[in-house]
Amino acid sequence: MAETLDLAHEDVMDVEFPDDIHYSSTGISNEKLGMWVFLASDCLLFGGLISTYLLYRNRPGSIPGLAGSPVKLSSLFDIPFTSMTSFILLMSSLTMVLAVNSIIRGDMPRTRLWLVSTAGLGALFLGGQVYEFTAFVKEGLGFTSNVSSSAFFTLTGFHGVHVAGGVIMLLALAAISARRKVQAEVVEVVGLYWHFVDIVWVLIFTIVYLIP
Amino acid sequence: MSSTIELDDDSPVHPGEHHDHGLSDRRYFNIFFALVAITALEISTYWWDDVFNADTKKIAVPTLIILMVVKFFMVALYFMHLKFDSPMLKRIFYSGMVLAIAVYAIALSAMNFWTDSGVNQFNDPPPAVTPTTLVATGG
Repeated sequence: MAETLDLAHEDVMDVEFPDDIHYSSTGISNEKLGMWVFLASDCLLFGGLISTYLLYRNRPGSIPGLAGSPVKLSSLFDIPFTSMTSFILLMSSLTMVLAVNSIIRGDMPRTRLWLVSTAGLGALFLGGQVYEFTAFVKEGLGFTSNVSSSAFFTLTGFHGVHVAGGVIMLLALAAISARRKVQAEVVEVVGLYWHFVDIVWVLIFTIVYLIP
Repeated sequence: MSSTIELDDDSPVHPGEHHDHGLSDRRYFNIFFALVAITALEISTYWWDDVFNADTKKIAVPTLIILMVVKFFMVALYFMHLKFDSPMLKRIFYSGMVLAIAVYAIALSAMNFWTDSGVNQFNDPPPAVTPTTLVATGG
């Protein structure tokens, strides 16, 4: 038995991997697998927030025990403006895949360019969201004005926090890549997160803004 | 016994991982333009009532839902490489998605979302208890 174990140990030790590659029994790196599991669980978070919004969307006005501004959320939507920010986020998904393709080709300067472009577009989207929130508050619809506005600000606010997190990751990655070599898979994993943020916006834009 | 697994220097591939990122920049641009066209069609539904001078809600809502699902899968399959990656990743992501849809569809049903009459309450009030319902339910 001991001899068998020794042999198995020897077999494992003889396998040679590059320094920065770690073997996993699934054949998928732990980082990538972890990101996919996180994204799958994030589906539940956004599912909950979207469902809550759907329940409360048409309920402005007074509800016993809760604030009740009569302002209807959908009457304040600026569809052309939100469409523009949606295009911006969609464009950022394109620049992200271009960054992944660039690093797979080993083209670091171009990878950095696309990463910074993606972060810039993400920041532009966030700016649009801040502008929209400010306009709503000026019209008298704040976070606690009524249940409909609370559900809206929570949903879009959580999405905004995800975008902000993505922008920070992209800028950090661009900064790190200027100092040392970055593994292509790291860019890919950050890209997965970024595309997920885009996918969630695809749902929010249709369900919240476009469906009457 | 000695065995060596050969890996390409630039490859993000891990041993045994199926990893085939087959799309070129050009293909990604094509997918992006398709997404832009779908988004433009989605946005256009906002003005359909005015353009067609009729209530287009019954057509616009299913159209929007179909376009949303198409966009969702285009981004997931191509931009997130789900189409080319390990089937295990597909199963993980789809499991989370299906679980979320099932849980919240049940939650929305429990809160009378599908039969909502628009009253200004959390959900529709329960049916009024009358002598007839008391007899019918044995209460």
